[in-house]
Formats: sequence, structure tokens, C-alpha cells
Amino acid sequence: MTATARVETLVEPELDLELDAVWRNRPGFIGWLTTTDHKSIAKRYVATAFIFFLLAGVEAATMRAQLSRPENGILGPDRYNQFFTMHGTTMMFLFAVPVMIGVGLYLVPLLVGARNVAFPRANAMGYWVYLIGGVLIYGGFFVNSGPDAGWFAYTPLSGPEFSPGKRVDIWAQMITFTEIAALIAAVIIITTAFRMRSPGMSLNRIPIMVWASVVMSFMIIFAMPSVATASLFLAMDRLISTHFFNAAEGGDALLWQHLFWFFGHPEVYIMFLPGTGIISSLLPSFTRRSVFGYPALVLSIIATGFIAFGLWVHHMFATPLPQLGQSFFTAASALVAIPNGIQIFCWIATIWTGRPIFRTPLLFAIGSIIIFVMGGMTGVMIASVPFDLQVHDTYFIVAHFHYVILGGVVFPLFAGMYYWFPKVTGRMLSETAGKWNFWLMFIGVHATFFPMHQLGMEGMPRRVYTYLEGTGWGDLNLVASLGALVIFSSVVVFLGNVIHSLRHGAIAGANPWDAESLEWATTSPAPSYNFANTPVVSGRAPLWESGDELPVMTGLARDRQQVLLTTVLDAEPDSRHDHPGHTIWPFIVALTIGIFFITLIFSPWGLPIGTVLGFIAYARYIWPKKSHEPAIVELPRSVPAAEVPK
Amino acid sequence: MRRERIVADVSQLPTVVYGMRNLVSWGTTGFMIIEGFSLGLCAVTYVYLRKNTAVWPPHGTQLPQLLVPTINLAVMVLSLPLALWTKHRAERMERGATRVGLVLSSIVAVVVFGLRLAEFASLHTQWNSSAYGSIAWTILGFQGTLILIDMYDTIGITAIMFLRPESKWYPEVADNALYWIFTVASWIPLYFLIYFGPRWL
Amino acid sequence: MILQAPRYTQQSMVDPAGTKAALVDHFWHFLITTASIVTAIVFIALLIALFKRHRPVEPEEPAVQRSLTRWVSASVAVTLVIIVVFLFTDFRLGRAIATVPNRTPLRVNVIGHQWWWEFQYPDSVPNNWISTANELHIPVGRPVVLNMSSPDVIHSFWVPNLSGKKDLIPGHQTETWIEADSAGVYRGQCAEFCGLQHAKMAMLVIAEPEAKFDQWVLASRATATEPADSTAKAGGQVFLTAGCSVCHAIAGTAAGATVGPNLTHFGSRHSIAAATLPNNRGNLGGWILDPQRIKPGAQMPPNGLDPDQLNAILAYLEGLK
Repeated sequence: MTATARVETLVEPELDLELDAVWRNRPGFIGWLTTTDHKSIAKRYVATAFIFFLLAGVEAATMRAQLSRPENGILGPDRYNQFFTMHGTTMMFLFAVPVMIGVGLYLVPLLVGARNVAFPRANAMGYWVYLIGGVLIYGGFFVNSGPDAGWFAYTPLSGPEFSPGKRVDIWAQMITFTEIAALIAAVIIITTAFRMRSPGMSLNRIPIMVWASVVMSFMIIFAMPSVATASLFLAMDRLISTHFFNAAEGGDALLWQHLFWFFGHPEVYIMFLPGTGIISSLLPSFTRRSVFGYPALVLSIIATGFIAFGLWVHHMFATPLPQLGQSFFTAASALVAIPNGIQIFCWIATIWTGRPIFRTPLLFAIGSIIIFVMGGMTGVMIASVPFDLQVHDTYFIVAHFHYVILGGVVFPLFAGMYYWFPKVTGRMLSETAGKWNFWLMFIGVHATFFPMHQLGMEGMPRRVYTYLEGTGWGDLNLVASLGALVIFSSVVVFLGNVIHSLRHGAIAGANPWDAESLEWATTSPAPSYNFANTPVVSGRAPLWESGDELPVMTGLARDRQQVLLTTVLDAEPDSRHDHPGHTIWPFIVALTIGIFFITLIFSPWGLPIGTVLGFIAYARYIWPKKSHEPAIVELPRSVPAAEVPK
Repeated sequence: MRRERIVADVSQLPTVVYGMRNLVSWGTTGFMIIEGFSLGLCAVTYVYLRKNTAVWPPHGTQLPQLLVPTINLAVMVLSLPLALWTKHRAERMERGATRVGLVLSSIVAVVVFGLRLAEFASLHTQWNSSAYGSIAWTILGFQGTLILIDMYDTIGITAIMFLRPESKWYPEVADNALYWIFTVASWIPLYFLIYFGPRWL
Repeated sequence: MILQAPRYTQQSMVDPAGTKAALVDHFWHFLITTASIVTAIVFIALLIALFKRHRPVEPEEPAVQRSLTRWVSASVAVTLVIIVVFLFTDFRLGRAIATVPNRTPLRVNVIGHQWWWEFQYPDSVPNNWISTANELHIPVGRPVVLNMSSPDVIHSFWVPNLSGKKDLIPGHQTETWIEADSAGVYRGQCAEFCGLQHAKMAMLVIAEPEAKFDQWVLASRATATEPADSTAKAGGQVFLTAGCSVCHAIAGTAAGATVGPNLTHFGSRHSIAAATLPNNRGNLGGWILDPQRIKPGAQMPPNGLDPDQLNAILAYLEGLK
């Protein structure tokens, strides 16, 4: 990696060196375990998520190989069931949400002008917990004990009677880990976005990517507990014979579906909203105008966040629920197209009146709009109960959600990779390889998933390890499998591009795209402390509005990790806060959390052992170092002046 | 690279502030929302399971006993003024009074936790007897972990206020008192659900 | 030897043979037309936006912003109208398919198992109660109400040419109805992941004119046909002694277990193993000797029969018409 470039013509020389000494990671392996720098942690999230993306891709490729011919022999039913479960579980829990969390954790402080996130130690801990969860489930998979009841694990199939062994228990605990990590990241992003913004960055000047990350975070806070509760109930049914889902003792199989989908539907918007944030972020650079319709875009993101919680029953239309209730969910599921549509119309309006520059980020953004619109169309169709009752649990649904996820999550993500790679690494990705990457992926997606609409309507159900010759599904399945190879090759191109550009890419400079937002005000890559002095903001496009001279505030400490806190609505400077600095205790606490939950899969001793270890480790984590005195204290306004101590 | 123009100096801003001005309070608030919502989901599950069946509790299961749970509820509610008092002392940075409040709060937390462990027997059913038993035990246990976490936190802050009583910990004491109030408040509706749900629903 | 698949209509929702499927197929045409038009408009707008020549010098000046606001608002309004029309049409369709026509429906109980379908035709007279598996006979032109449940995991009953699907959920009774407009054999498949052999849990719906259906009912109520010759008779003994009767029932014999499919009139079935293979000697022999080769994970174990026993039992089963 390049060394930190020095900021030119500083008002105060040597400031950057002093700050770097305080903020930079410790060297070597110990630095790796102790870092609380949000950029390091975020890069880890993204890199780890990409590894899981590749693993899930290999699983998909194997499944497509198996399904390319009828009665094929590559995967038997047991292996296939593990593969499709792992593919879905990996993509949903280990890739899509963590990668968007990583993107948010990297960008939010830079976008709002802060030096770090609000809770750097918790941030570090969250990543380790996520990693432990991923390693757990893949460990199980590699010893033929991977979960095999689907990523959605419907009861009673996933219960103790029909899924013996530890497979589903491993799945349930992985949920716990990834859920803890996501919740930590969510609280961090919200707090950072609301308390650590640059002076002058009032609510109506917050970058759209930050809004998207904040709404995503609120959604995580209300959705994740539902799946955590569900998986807790399932784990208890399996391990200690509770009866939440056992009809014979008063439980209900449908309870699982309600709890799971109450999480499951918002989950896809948790993944999708940051994708829309990415597109809104990069369009200005490639159309040379600020994105049109800021208020509409922000309100659409917020509206989608709310509406998403009112859709979950559309996953359950084939179950015995009252018709009137179903109608509500049909209407909500169709109406969610409105805020999504608003965003798309605003983007088209932006492009219409801007001057498009056809670089790879814009290509991926356009591809995302095209693919997502197609997925959105089938989405409205399946809001209809009668129509859904035909296509539910068929390849039509597989086609639908791959279109919306590839369009709404993966393509924006790749756009974001090409857009922010220079900021993260200091080098540009190759444009030529980028265009190959884009076109291969665009063509591959359509080749793989478009035929699946037809397959579903021709009666091919989901989650089948094979199909009979007489069904006539062989040809379209072969086309889909060939399309998967094209997608695979595009990912190879991407990886090659990244590896090559890390060493040989063109040096990027601070703002290679001549972009409008604050992250481009600092060097590429950003210094450990992000900004030497706190930028002051007076509009939505700080770099385009400030011209040659950026107003800043000075005065934060130089001998310790100090950040500026501002007020929630108008971002007026409010107080200063000292961060504890780099420490190994988040890693240790994460290990104790791992011991706690993993041991519980196999023995109830996990409860006392894990609790004791966790409490000890957390005590060390939280025990204060000597703080810098004298502190400047401001008592709450509710304390009458007479009672203020002298 | 842009030039910078200094427009203000923040070095005189306070470094110790209270309530939602304090960064850590946002973390605590986040935790309370998450746990509160999770308990809400458990409560919804309780009602869902009840509505799904004709007889609640199931045949052969006694109604839960009220003595120990009601004593525990009373202790919790009566401890609220103590929590508020401790919070006010911390807001005025009165070291001695804060320490007293914290020691008493620690004792209360231990007592309540102990009573909670005793409460399980009042349910008159096992977690694996029926869905009724499963959800009742889960709610007691889950909410019990909030008590445990508070107990741990309170004892920890008490130790800190004796061993390293720096000014930055007073807002944490106030925050901790607020967390206890949340723990009690979250329990009150659940108490009625578990102990009177079988009688009224 | 190339084994013919049982002759049935290719399962497809866009080849309707029943009222409900026909209504949904009609709706599908409305949906795909509307979606295609809307998508085309959006794509054309996007392409124009990308490639048009003339662009405002000052894109963020108020006049331009106002114009864009009007266009975006209009687009949102049009989208809303389309969605409202969709919802109205959809709700009417929903009511139509949910309403069982009042033409003396036939009632059938459906019980889903891992990985086969049990069909019971209840009757007020207990002796007339029919229990069969994997092949559902129905009269053409009469609604059939299906009362469904499952003792193990969630399954889903789906015959796309006739109707949308409905889940079978342990602890619940669910209900749906189907009706065939024309005679034929329609294939259906389980549509809710139910474990190892979810992929091969199919069924055949055999729709016959009322008269033929009544004949089938009468024939099905009878106890099993007596074995015609000595080989078949020996087969009947093999059936009782080699373990088959532990799971399978044949009415009128000592075999009365209900773990596996009822085989009383097995000889008349078109297919075996939940519509996986045609019902002929070769397939049946292979299936009986080792079901795991055809459906790995199925509940039926391999059976070590010597060639004579196998021959006899095949003759016996073929004769159970």
C-alpha cells in the first residue's frame, strides 16, 4: 500500500505527523489484532464478505452443473441440499449484509467528516464475531455437517425430529454471530451519523449514502431480533426439547415462518437500500451535476425502510392465513414499488440533464437500473395472491429475486468498488478490464436467470436436486448453467483487475473523479485520522461549493484520539470525546462470545463457561485507562445552578 | 489539494457531558431498543401461542404461583427511587453519595437476580412440558439476562467509582441508572403477561 | 430398453386445463403486457437520457429542476394508477379463485408424507372409504375440495395446469379446490422443500368423465383382486412374509399397515414412486429390490428377494387391478 501522502499547504505544519503517530495502527500482526481504525475494520468486512461471495459462487456453479442435465449425478440429494442451503445462507448472511455494513463503516465517517466511528472497539469486536460465525458454518460444511434445511430452515423439517445431528444447530448459531455483528454495526452507524457530523452538515445536507446506511441500520435493529428470536427458539427446540414449533405440544410450525419472514423481508431491503445509496453517490461524478431530487430520494429511502416491515406475509401466501390479511400484504407489496420507482425516476432525471461520462462505475449503475427494473416488475406480479400461488416456490421466484438482488445489490456494489477503490487504495482499477467485467456480468445475469422465469411457469419447483427427463426442462436449465459460467468469468476478470491494480494501477490522487462529497477532500488512501482538521460544510456538495478553499475547525487534541461531537439536527459543535485507542480486548471478548455460543451447540456447559470468560474479558475491555485530566465538564441543564459543585 | 481556512477552534468544548450528549448513552439506548423489541417479540409469541390453542395453560398444568414473582416485582419497583436518586447524585458529581447509591444498587441487583432464579419454580411447569412452558421460561430467562447484565454493569461501575473515580464516569453512573429503570419497566408488562395471562387471556 | 414416461400433460401454468389456472393464465397475459410496456418506457427514457445530445448548460437552475419535478411527479402518478388498477383486478381474481363453485363438490383428503401423496375419498359408509396414493382421480367438470394435512413436515400440493398451490402444514388443516375442464392426466409436484426426496414427490391427477370416474370409485371400493395363478398367489405370500406388509396395506388381506402407500389397486396405477417412473415390470422390480438407487433417502429399504420371489411378487402386484 502507498504511504500516506502529506496534505499540501497545511495551516499548521507537522500536524499530520503528530496525528498519524496517535491514530495509526500498530505494526505487524499485533496491529492487525488491535486495530480500532474503522477503515481497517471496514476493509476486512468487505474482503471477508467477498471471500464468502466467491464460496457461494462456487456453490452456485456446482448446483448449476448438477441441474444442467436431467437426472445428473454430480450432487446427490443430501449434498445438493447442503449446497443450496449454504449458497443462500452465505449470500444472505455472510456476504450481502456484511459487505454493505463494511461499505457503510468505511464511508460514513469520511462522508460526514469524522475521524472514526462512534464506538471503535465495538466495531472491531463486531467483525471478529462475524468471522467466527462464518468459520463455524463453513467448518461444519467441510466435514459434511453443513446445514441442509434451506437458508430459511422451515420447521418442522429443521426441527429435532426431521433434521437430526448438529447441522441445523450450527446454522442457528451462525445466525446469532452474524446478527450480533450486524446489530453492533447498526448502532455504530446511527450514532456516528447523528453525533459526529462536520459542523454545518445539518440533516438536509447529509450525503444520501449516509441516509441509506442509517435507514439500513434502523432496519437491522428491528429486523435482526426477529430472526435471532426465531433461531433461539429453534435451537432450544432442538437442544433442550422446548415446543415452540411442535404442534403436538401447543407449538406451531407457522410461528417460525412469521418470525423468520418478519426479518427476512426487511433483510432484502437492508441489502438493497445501501445499493441505492451507492448509485446516488456516484451519479454526480459521472453526470457532472448533483443528483436530482434529494428530498424525494431521502424520503423514498425512509419510506421503503418502513414499508418493508409490512410485507412479510407475501412469503406465506400458500399457508392458511385469512384472505383479508393477505390483501393488505398484496397492497403493501405492490405499493413499495412507488418509493423504489421514485429513486429510479430521479436517477434518470439526473442523467437526462447531466453530461454522462461512460466509465465503469456508471456502466454498473446503468446495468443495475436495467436489471432491478425487470426484477421489480416480477415483484409486483408476485404481490398478487392468485398469481403467486402458481409461481411461489418455483424457478420464477428464483429468477425474480436474483434479478432484484443482482440489480439492487451486486451491480451497485461493483459500481461502488470501481468508484471507491481509488479512495481506499490510492490506485485506479483498469477501465478496460472494468468494461469486460461489466459486459460479461450483464450478459451472464440475463443468460442465467431470464430462462428461469419460463422454467417456473413450466412447473419447475425450487430446491430440487434433479428433475426427470420427461419434464422438458433440460434445455433451459442448460442455458442457465452456461450463463453461470459467464458470470463466473466476469468475477475472475474482477479479481484479476483488483490484484493487478493494487500494484500497477494508476495513482489516483485525492479526487480522481472530481467528486462533490467530503471523502474526496482527503488523501487517497485517507490518513489514519481521516481529516487533520474538521471540515465545515455549508451545502450538500461540499467540494463543489467550497471551491479552492475548504473551511475547517481546529482544536481537537493532538496527543490522543479525540473526536468532535455535534448536535443531531444542525451539527453544531457540542463536545469532544476521547477514544480509547487500539486494543486487543475486542478480539478477546469476541473469542469468548464464540466459545459461549459454539460450546452451547454441544453442551449446556457453554452457558456458565462462556458467561464467566465473557465477563472477565469484558471487564478488561471496559476498564478505563487513566483519562486525560482536567476534563471540562458540563452538567445537564436540568441541574439547577445552585447545585453545581464548585 | 485544497487549502484550508480555519474558521473556529473547538478546544474549549467540554469533554464530559451527560444524557444523550454523551456518546455512550447512544450505545446504551441502542441496546435497550434492541432488547426491548426482542422482549416484545417474545410477548407477541406468547399471545400467538395462546390464541393458537383452546386451553391455556394446557391440561394438567397449574396456574403460576404469585408470591415470589410479586415480591420480586415489588422490590424492583421500590428500587426505582434509589436509581433516580443515584442518577441525580451523579449528575451533581457528588462522589460520596454516588458511591453509596451504587453500592445499594448493586445489592438490589443481586437480590432481584436471586429472586428471579427462584421465580422459575413459581411457573409450575417445565420448559419442555409444552409450548406454554417453553415461552414462559424463555421470557423469564431472557428478561433475567437483562437483570444479570445490569448486575454486572452496576458492580463494575461501583468498583470503578471506588478505584478510579474520574469525572468521565459520572455520566456512566447516570446512564446505568437509566438502564435499571428500563430493566424494571420492561419487566412490568411481562409480569402481567406471564402471571396473569393464564388467568385473563 | 427405453422406458416410456407415463403419458401426461406437461406441467405448466400457461397451459390451463382447469378454471382456476385459466383465470390466472388470463391475468398473466395482462401482467406481462403491462410490465413489458412499462419496462420499455423506462428503458427508452434511460437510453435517451444517456445518449441525447442537447443538455442544459446549467442543469441545477430552478427552471430545469421544476421541469424535472413535474416529469418525475407525473411518472409517479402514472405508476400509482397502474398499481391501483392492478390491485383492483387482482382482488377480484382472488375472490373468484377462492370461491368453490356450488356444484356438489367431491371431497378428498390429502395427506402429505415424506415423499409420497396419500389420497383418501371419505364416505359416510365406512366400507366405501377409498385410500390410494400418488394418483388422484377426479371427475371432469366438477369441483374437488381437498382437505389437507401432513403428519411430518410441510409439503405443498401443486398441479399447475389446474390450480395454484396450497401448503400442507403439520398441526393445521388446509383446504383448496381444483376442477378440470377436460379429461386428461395432469402432473403435479410437491412445491415446498420437504427433505431429501422433495424433488421426486410428484403426483398424477387423472381427470375422467363422470361416468368413468364413478366406475373407478366402484372398482376402488372393492377389496383386492384375488391372485389369478399360482405365481401370483405365491407373490401374495412373499408380500406378507418378506416385510412389505409392515408398511403397506392391501384391502382384503392380512396386510393393513398405513406407513406407506396403500397398494390395493396398485396394478392399475400409471406410475410408481410418486410419479417418478412408469409402472411396468422392469421399473417395479428395480424399485422393490433397491428403492435407494432411484430415490436415495426414501423411507423404503432395499429388499433382498431372490429371483423367484421377485417374479412372484411382481406377478401379484400386477394383478392388483
